[in-house]
Amino acid sequence: MATRTNLTALLLATALPLAACSGDGSRTPAAGDGTLVIDTSFDLKTADPGRMYETTGMFVNKALYDTLLTFDGSDVKKPVPALAKSFELSDDGKVLTLKLRSGVKFSDGSPLTADDVVFSLNRVRGMKGTPSFLLEGVEVAKTDATTVTMTSKVPNPALPYILPNPVLSILNSKVVMKHGGTTDPKDKAEKYLNSASAGSGPYKLESLSVSSKVVLRANPEYYGRKPAYGKVVIRNVEAATQKLNVQRGDSQVALNLSGDQVKTVAGSLEVLKTASANVIYLHATRNKSVSKTTPNPKFAEAVRKGVDYQGLLELAGAGSVQAPGMIPSQILGALPQDQAAKRDVAGAKAALKASGLKNPKVKLEYPSEITVNGLPFQPLAERIQSNLKDVGITVDLAPAPISTAADNYRTGKEEMGLWYWGPDYPDPSDYLVFLPGKPVGQRVGWKPGTDKAVEDAGEKAATVLGEAERRQAYHDMQTELNDSGPFIPLIQPSQNIVSATSVTGLKYHPVWTVDVADLGAK
Amino acid sequence: MSPTSVPSDVTALRDRVRRLRPFAGFLARRVLIAVLLAWGITLVTFVLTNMVPGDPVAANLGQRALGDETIVAQWRAEHGLDKSPPEQYLMHLQALLHGDLGMSQQSHRPVGDDLAEFVPATLELAGVAIVVSLVLGVAFGMIAALRRDRPADHALRMLSLIGISVPTFWLALLAFYVFFYRLQLTPGSGRVDPGLGAPESVTGLHTVDAALAGQWDVFASALGHLILPALVLSLYTIALLTRFTRSAVLEVLGQDHVRAGRAKGLPRRVILRSYVLRSALVPIITVAGLAFGSLLSGTVLVEAIFAWPGIGQYAYKSATTLDLPAIMGVGLVVGIVYLVINLIVDVLYGVIDPRVRLR
Repeated sequence: MATRTNLTALLLATALPLAACSGDGSRTPAAGDGTLVIDTSFDLKTADPGRMYETTGMFVNKALYDTLLTFDGSDVKKPVPALAKSFELSDDGKVLTLKLRSGVKFSDGSPLTADDVVFSLNRVRGMKGTPSFLLEGVEVAKTDATTVTMTSKVPNPALPYILPNPVLSILNSKVVMKHGGTTDPKDKAEKYLNSASAGSGPYKLESLSVSSKVVLRANPEYYGRKPAYGKVVIRNVEAATQKLNVQRGDSQVALNLSGDQVKTVAGSLEVLKTASANVIYLHATRNKSVSKTTPNPKFAEAVRKGVDYQGLLELAGAGSVQAPGMIPSQILGALPQDQAAKRDVAGAKAALKASGLKNPKVKLEYPSEITVNGLPFQPLAERIQSNLKDVGITVDLAPAPISTAADNYRTGKEEMGLWYWGPDYPDPSDYLVFLPGKPVGQRVGWKPGTDKAVEDAGEKAATVLGEAERRQAYHDMQTELNDSGPFIPLIQPSQNIVSATSVTGLKYHPVWTVDVADLGAK
Repeated sequence: MSPTSVPSDVTALRDRVRRLRPFAGFLARRVLIAVLLAWGITLVTFVLTNMVPGDPVAANLGQRALGDETIVAQWRAEHGLDKSPPEQYLMHLQALLHGDLGMSQQSHRPVGDDLAEFVPATLELAGVAIVVSLVLGVAFGMIAALRRDRPADHALRMLSLIGISVPTFWLALLAFYVFFYRLQLTPGSGRVDPGLGAPESVTGLHTVDAALAGQWDVFASALGHLILPALVLSLYTIALLTRFTRSAVLEVLGQDHVRAGRAKGLPRRVILRSYVLRSALVPIITVAGLAFGSLLSGTVLVEAIFAWPGIGQYAYKSATTLDLPAIMGVGLVVGIVYLVINLIVDVLYGVIDPRVRLR
C-alpha cells in the first residue's frame, strides 16, 4: 500500500505543472458573506486540547479556546497577556504568578474561574498524553479567586513561552467533568470535546470530522474583538486540489502549497511566503555499533562542508532560509545568517582525508510520505546524495513510511537521518534535547560525558536568566554543537499561504500557523 | 381425488422446497466460507501489520513524547500494544465476536464509527461508477462488435485503450482542472458545498439522505459533487467492459443458434437481446465482478484528489501509520464486499445460463 502511494505521490508531483497552468478564472467571494473556507492537509486526530499535538489541531484549538498568555501577531519573542491580565516570574525563575482577567465567560455563559485554570492545566499534565511534557514538574495552584501560581522544581524561564500553546487552553471544568473529564489517565472527556467545545475562545465547535472537515461558529460570549467571519469551514484537501480551489474561489485560504506550486498561482491572489520555524537537519550517528563510519568526528565535518545549502534552498523555494543552527530564526538565541555553514568541497575532501576513511558508504534514512510545509524529503535527500558524491561519500537512500522511519530514529538505529524539528514552544530551551545524553542526542548515540565543551555550554544555557544572557548562552551552545556535534542544520522551508484578496490580516505563526480570529474581510 | 393423492398446493410447495434446497445449501456454504475468509483476513492483516518493521507509537506521538518512557508505556497500554502479539490477536478476535472493531489510533474513535462514516461515502461513489460502467461499457462493446472494423469500432477501441492506459490519479487531476477550474461546470472538493451542511444521516449516502429529508438544495449539491469523481472512477471499468463485451459478442455472433435465429427471420432486436447478449453475458459478468474490485482500489486516488472522505483515504492513512484496528476493519469491509459481489456473480450465472446449476 505504502509503495503504491509513494509512486502516486511521485507521479502527482510530475503531473503538477499541468495543474499549475495558472488561469484568470478566480472569483472573489462577496465580502462579508460571513463564511470563510480554509483548505489544508489534515493531520488532525482530536480537538481535545489536552491530547492534541498536531499542526491542524493547534490551528483549530487556537480558534476555540483561550490560553493564559499569548503572542502578539507572529512575534514569538515576547509573551503577552490573554486570560491572565498580568504575569510575573520570580527572580529564581521558579514561580510564575498570574493575575486572571475578570468578566470572561465560557461559550455557555458561565464565568471562567481560577478553578477552571487549575483543572485544565492539571488535566494536561495528569493525563500523560502526548503534550503532557509541557508542564513536566510544574505545580499549579490557586492562590485566590483571581490569582494562580505555577511552581517549577527547577528554574523555568521558558514557562511564559509555553503557556500560549493551544494545548494549555482553559476549559470549562464543570462541563468537562460532567462528560467524564478527570486530571489523570482515566479521563474520558475526549469524545465530548470532539463534538462540542468547552472554551471561551472566539469560536465554538459546530462539527468535527478528523478526516474531512471542521466547522466553527463565532462565539457570541467571546470577551475580545468579535471575529470578522461568522462561520469558518476548514477542509481536508490535498495540496494540488487546494491550489485549484483557491484559484477558482471555492476556498479563500490554502495553507499547504509548495514553493513550486505558488510560483504559478493566479496574480489575483495574495501569496504569503514566510520561513517556517521547522528546521530540517541531517544527523550522523555516534554509535559505533550502528556505524563504523559516521562516529568519526571528521566525517560530520566533511558532510557539513560538502552540502550545497544554496541548492537546497532553491529546491525549497522562495521564502526559505538556511538554518545556521538548530534554533530557528524566530526564536531567541538563533544564530545570525553570517554564521551559517557554506559549501567548501576542498575543505570537505580534506576533512574526509584527515578522517582516514576510504571511500565511505553510508545509509540515509528519512520519512517518505510526509512533507514539511509542503516540501517532501525525497528531493532534498537526492540533492544531498549528489552533493556528497562530489566529496567522495557514497550515500544510499533509504526512505520508509513514518511509522518505520521514526521508529528506527527513535531507537537509535539510523546511520544517517534526514529529519526536521518544529518548536514545541518558541523558547530556546526546547533545543536542549539535542545535547549529549538528552532525548535527541541519545537517538544518535551521543552519550553524556563524551563532549564536555558542548555539555558545559548547554548547562549554562539551561540555567542562565535574563534575555541578553540567555541569547549569548544559546549562541555559544549552537556554535559548539556545530563544531563538534552529530547534527547538521540545513534549512527552514517556507510556509506558503495563498489567500483571496478579500481576506486581510493573514500572518504565519510558528506555533498555530494562522489565528483564524485575526483574519478580516474586505 | 383418491385418498393417497396429495393436495396440489402441497405438491407445489414440495417442488419449491426441492428447488430451493440446493440454493439454501449453496448459501449456507457461502456463509461458512465468508466466516472462514473473514477470520483469514483478520489473521493475515494482523500478521502482516506486525511484520512491518516499525512501531505505531512512532507515528502517533510527538518527538518529545517519544522520549518519555511513561507516556510511551501509557499509550501502548491504552491500545493494548503492551501485550504479546498472540495475546493481542486473541483480544482483537474476542472483541470482534462481540461486534467491536476496536479503537482507531488515528481518529481516536471506534473503528466501527469510522467505517459507518466512510464506507457509505465510498459506496455512493463506487455504486454510481459501476452502474455507469455497466450501462456504457456493455453498450459500447455491443456497438463496437456489431460495427466491426468500421469507424465506430475503431473509435471505441481507441477510447477503451486510452481508458485502460490512463492512470486514474492523472485523469482525476486533469478532470478537476478542466471541469472545475477551467470550464467551471462542476463544484469543488468534498461531498457537498461548504456552505451547506451534510443531510441527517440515514443511509450515509448524501444524495439519498437529502432526498429523504426533502432538502433539494443539498441533494442537487451532493449530486453535482458526485458526477465528476464517479465518471473519472468509472472510465477504467467502462474501457475494460467495452473490450470484453466486444470480444464476447463477436464470438457469439458467429455461432449456430444466432445464425438459426436469423434464418428463422426473427427480428434483429430479439436476436440481439435474447440470443447474442444473453450468451455473451457470462464472461461480461465475470469481468464486471472483477472490475468492481479495481474500482475500490481506484477510490484511494480519486478520493485524494476530490477530497472525498471515503474508505480509500482511511485505508491509506491507517496503513502508513500501522493503525492495526483500522487496517483490520478496512480489510474486513473490503473482503465482505468482494464476497457479496462474487455471490451475486455466481447467482447471476445460474439466472442467465440455465446449464449452470447449483449443486
